[in-house]
Amino acid sequence: MHEFLAQLVNGISLGGIYALIAIGYTMVYGIAELINFAHGDVYTLGTFVALAIFGALGISGELHGIALVVDSGLALIGAAVCCGLIGMAMERLAYRRLRNAPRLAPLITAIGVSFILQNLMQLWKGSAPIPFPAVLPNPRFDLGPVSITAQQIAVVALAVAAMFALQIVVTRTRTGAAMRAVAQDRQAASLMGVDVDRTIAITFLIAGLLAGVGGFVSGVYYQSTWFLNGFSAGLKAFTAAVLGGIGNIAGAMLGGFLIGIIESFATWLIGGQWSNVTVFAILILVLVLKPSGLLGERVPEKV
Amino acid sequence: MGAPILEIRGVSKRFGKLAAVDDLSLSVQTGAIFGIIGPNGAGKSTLFNLVSGVSRPDSGEILFDGVDVAGWHSDAIARAGIGRTFQNLRLFGYLSARENVMIGGHARLKATLFDSLLNTPRARREERAALSRADELLARFDLAADADRFARNLPYGGQRRLEIARALAGQPQLLLLDEPAAGANAAEKRALVDLVRAINAAGTTVVLIEHDMGVVMELCHRIAVLDYGVKIAEGDGAEVRANPRVIEAYLGTPDA
Amino acid sequence: MVYAIAAIVIAFAVAIDRVRTKRTKLLLLAGLAVLLAVAPRLGGSDASVNALVDIGIYVVLALGLNVVVGFAGLLDLGYAAFFAIGAYTYAMLASPQFGLHLPFWVLLFLAAALASLFGIVLGAPTLRLRGDYLAIVTLGFGEIVPQVFQNLTKYTGGPNGIGALDVPTFFGIPFGQSALPYYYVTLAAIALTLLLTNNLRASRLGRAWMAIREDQLAAAHAGIDTTRSKLAAFALGASFSGFAGVIFAAKLSLVSPDLFQFQVSVLVVSMLVLGGMGNIPGVVVGAVLLGLLNGTVLPQLDTIATDVLHVHADLTQASFLIYGVILVGLMLFRPEGLLPDRERRAEMHAAPNEVV
Repeated sequence: MHEFLAQLVNGISLGGIYALIAIGYTMVYGIAELINFAHGDVYTLGTFVALAIFGALGISGELHGIALVVDSGLALIGAAVCCGLIGMAMERLAYRRLRNAPRLAPLITAIGVSFILQNLMQLWKGSAPIPFPAVLPNPRFDLGPVSITAQQIAVVALAVAAMFALQIVVTRTRTGAAMRAVAQDRQAASLMGVDVDRTIAITFLIAGLLAGVGGFVSGVYYQSTWFLNGFSAGLKAFTAAVLGGIGNIAGAMLGGFLIGIIESFATWLIGGQWSNVTVFAILILVLVLKPSGLLGERVPEKV
Repeated sequence: MGAPILEIRGVSKRFGKLAAVDDLSLSVQTGAIFGIIGPNGAGKSTLFNLVSGVSRPDSGEILFDGVDVAGWHSDAIARAGIGRTFQNLRLFGYLSARENVMIGGHARLKATLFDSLLNTPRARREERAALSRADELLARFDLAADADRFARNLPYGGQRRLEIARALAGQPQLLLLDEPAAGANAAEKRALVDLVRAINAAGTTVVLIEHDMGVVMELCHRIAVLDYGVKIAEGDGAEVRANPRVIEAYLGTPDA
Repeated sequence: MVYAIAAIVIAFAVAIDRVRTKRTKLLLLAGLAVLLAVAPRLGGSDASVNALVDIGIYVVLALGLNVVVGFAGLLDLGYAAFFAIGAYTYAMLASPQFGLHLPFWVLLFLAAALASLFGIVLGAPTLRLRGDYLAIVTLGFGEIVPQVFQNLTKYTGGPNGIGALDVPTFFGIPFGQSALPYYYVTLAAIALTLLLTNNLRASRLGRAWMAIREDQLAAAHAGIDTTRSKLAAFALGASFSGFAGVIFAAKLSLVSPDLFQFQVSVLVVSMLVLGGMGNIPGVVVGAVLLGLLNGTVLPQLDTIATDVLHVHADLTQASFLIYGVILVGLMLFRPEGLLPDRERRAEMHAAPNEVV
């Protein structure tokens, strides 16, 4: 029982990171109809940027007081903004020109972009795992049979906060209305005066921002990263988005937490070497059995 | 004329709250040219989609040659002997006109995966025959000069004819034509009428949806009128024209 | 020598693509075959023959994947999985691992059959998915397969893989240490793959694939069983990959999971994109160019940089940057590839709102 709860807590925190990435996949797919294969690498880039900012600030250990707030805030915002801009740049330079190309062209391009990002990070920091400074103090809270760390709480809180912020943007603002219109029918939205280019660019910006937050969080949480981190994390987050119902923000969140929990339990029960296999098997099963996902209404199959 | 080749019994199809086809029954005799008319949104194309397996009826039977094909996949229905054209043309645009027609004959060829892989003498013989049949069809439809052009580069009238040729290549017993005269000028309509008659004379039963009353009245032995998914009248040209419900449905559209 | 032969192959492929009559094409192909058959006799080290075999295996892979992606229009991002299945078939059935020593020639075809079986198992439930979803499913499969080989240590040797594979024999004569026998085997494999895939292209099935690629609904209305046709493409494509895997494993005398990562699948897809999907001469050109870049050019540039310019360079490390740039650049500026067929050229350059 004790181990069960501990794994559950682990899984939820892991899921928070997946959720942050999955939201980006789901938004971009919902609005631009593109599987942005490079999204996982944008997330890893977030960790790298946060690392670089801590490096530039000369931080290598735990932070306290004002420094904790200011320095880690700087790293968080830096990572988010950097990733948001990279996301926008990818869209502007590559994907936008392919909007009317045959369906597979944007996906192949996205794979190319992913390779470029991965390789650039590899050239930047090498192929070995890179340590990330343990900047946040990490007290444990004992809640009955299970203990939770401050970082775990922070991960989940950040993910949930991001989702709520996003829901507000999507449901309450003009930009959100434009996003929903473009997701429904791009051509009709354009005829009704929605600036489609701008809306898609903002979507990529938001997706990138969240990936950057995820990248920061993952660095802090795991205290390690490497250039290929985003490949499997990205695939798992994509699985989460599909599981939740692609195009659906709450679904991505739910899927993220579920995938985190599943991975955590798979690691515990059948061994860490099987966790990837389990997640990809789920991806295949969901797509085969219920391609619309748990909360999705749109069926990805179109005639 | 003999037994019905197509018999639709109590077929309904709803999209959400809207009944596109509502408890519809009709029967097409073998060898006939049967017309389906009605205002836009009357459920004519939906009916074709049900018969050709694009969608599955919510209830009812679609008997083709006595077999209920409701809910079958399109390819099985095509192989069973129903060919069709589409209102909004669905040619293989980046394939040549000849390839389009050869694909139409797919179901009439027997080459297996291994024949295809190994290019067996049987496959070669069959391909040669298919090629000459395709060229014959193209010639019959006045498309011989366009055989090597991409289908999408043909003029509109040529594309319409090519779609009929493609459907005929499958040697269907029943041919469904969805607005074959759309966009045609008077001379083209004249040619179309002759063409459909020739197809029918060669033994193919034809069902056509058409807005052009001249073409319908000239061609069809029997006509069904649909409105809001319901059959409001059926009979020969004169009967249909005299029917008060038809006049009501078409109010303001003087025709023929 | 590697460069010379690559250049000859590319020149012939372009010529074959350009000439109109079938007879001239066949003559050129026969000429190329003769040239390639005598080429190793005209000098060249074993290392260069070895490099040619590697390129040749990529040619088989690219031609096989072309059936799936080029002909049937299904993006398969897990093609390396079938390559792995072929290679491990040889490794497990022709090595001390289980004390089984089945003959190479039998395993070539057994592996092809096994790979296509896995293709069917994966494809049957997934092929009705939309294109980009299918791509991700195949990618997931491509991740699962090497991982499973890595995890089943008892049977597959785990991360270290299986070594000391049997040396194939030809009528009792062992291949030995030289790469030359593999060169001829690969040449024969390419010839067979060319023959079979070219047959497919011009066949009833090949036409059905073209129809499905263009308009699935209209294809079904022509009586084409779209699911079965796609499954056939998937299974056939997989079988070429399995077949190539056996040659690869036998030559290396070793298999390990890291040889079959996602990068291999993308490399083969890049070959198609570069050369021109669907067009057989184009695919050969793409495979030769990228195979050459991957196996010969980048390592040599590293050596030149280090030895001649005295700067430490690690361009092989940057290879995926280069493939990424190739993929993105091609998609943006020449999506139909270097040597496209007629359809793709037109398709890729149609204005979006062109009146149909």
